[in-house]
Amino acid sequence: MSTILLVEDDPDIRHLVSYKLTKGGFDVVDVADGLAALRAARENPPDLVLLDVRMPRMSGIEVCRELRAGPLPATVPIIMLTARSRPQDLELGYAAGATEYIVKPFSPRDLQERVEAALARVNS
Amino acid sequence: MLGLFTVVLEVLAGVVAVTVLAIVGVRVFRKVRQRRRAALAAGPRQALLAFVADNGEHGAQELVAIPDDAWRAAEPGALALLGKLRGEAHLALVSVFLQRGIARTALGDLHSRSRVKRARAAQVLGDLELRQAVPELCRLLTDRHDEVRVVAVRALGRIGDPAAAWRIIASLDRSDPVPSLLATHTLVQLGAEAEVTLSAALDHPQARVRAVCLDALGLLGATGSVHRMARVLREDSYLDVRVAAATNLGKLGTRGALEPLQQALSPSRPAALRAAAARALGELGAPSAVPILADLLGDDEFQVAHEAAHALRRLGPAGAGALADAIESERTQAGAHARPSASASHAQEALALSRVGAEHGERVGAGA
Repeated sequence: MSTILLVEDDPDIRHLVSYKLTKGGFDVVDVADGLAALRAARENPPDLVLLDVRMPRMSGIEVCRELRAGPLPATVPIIMLTARSRPQDLELGYAAGATEYIVKPFSPRDLQERVEAALARVNS
Repeated sequence: MLGLFTVVLEVLAGVVAVTVLAIVGVRVFRKVRQRRRAALAAGPRQALLAFVADNGEHGAQELVAIPDDAWRAAEPGALALLGKLRGEAHLALVSVFLQRGIARTALGDLHSRSRVKRARAAQVLGDLELRQAVPELCRLLTDRHDEVRVVAVRALGRIGDPAAAWRIIASLDRSDPVPSLLATHTLVQLGAEAEVTLSAALDHPQARVRAVCLDALGLLGATGSVHRMARVLREDSYLDVRVAAATNLGKLGTRGALEPLQQALSPSRPAALRAAAARALGELGAPSAVPILADLLGDDEFQVAHEAAHALRRLGPAGAGALADAIESERTQAGAHARPSASASHAQEALALSRVGAEHGERVGAGA
């Protein structure tokens, strides 16, 4: 069973995504901020990270950069969740080591399919 | 005297005690109410999350049947969730809301005397993407409170009905319009069908309206409006609007934009316009613009030469070749140790940036 680290400060989105992916057969570790995410990634390295961009204290971009610099190998996909889809915003995430983006508002079904596709690419 | 003093002290102590009791009472009451609401909302909230996670395939009737008091407690969270979803999950949740009569209530609240209620109702109708609410939301574009107008514009963008385009454009023609960026973004959300209206609005008497429409047309990639945009570039009486026309012609990516942009580079035109046209030629991506941009590397206007160099950088190998030629030609004429001219400096800067971009792209590619 693949482990997914979900980092999202919005409790509704966090519960929704966690519920959807757990039901889809994933082991989901969900945290509400960047520091908790870094701790969780060190303790239990995930197979994929779903990372909100806009969070208090530490932005998703900073978390992504720290994850890539430390506990997370380059092969582990990091999917950013964001409401900002301007090319320059996306470029920031890619430069920090993100693999792809899911733009909010999103469809839970699309999100699960994107997660499955990203994991399939890693495993192939 | 002492008796009077004692009485005053006793009255004051009484007032303080009553005030403290009132504050504590209100706080306790609020806390109890909050807890009661949270307890009431817990069940519906779980059901809502499960419902949207399953794309609304199961549980709609259960949500519709939730008692009113529990639904009222869960409604703010459910409404917030509505704005965060799209696809089948969004449609399913909208259907539950419609069955619970929330659209009817929101349409009524658009006429409320409270601006908070009007704004909240507009937000709800936008999140529901309810097309039948468009005329009422358009009416709100002339609301006396700017925050209500802003929410109405956002709601119209979310609904995406091109019929609202003209009303949004017209709402810009007032002393305190909604921010230009919001209007542009909303007009783009209305989609390609709004192009005809946007194109017609290029004749609007207000320069600000014309500039917003140009930005929206550029972002929409409205190639059908290239001639009208070219006319604005040539003839508009405001330099800022002409600059916006040049910038957005570059975004269209069509051959028809090439000639008007090249004409805008004429030395008789203002420097800001020529610089914008040079930048736009780079955005346009037409290799046939390389010779004319290469000539501009030695332009007397710093900004024009600078933009021409960076436009060449964006034009790929043909542009990079022209930049390298400019540096080489300078070296041949002035010698290897001579101080580089302005044109060679612009070319060197653009080529260096190009190399940095390529290395960065390789790193990102390797990381992915």
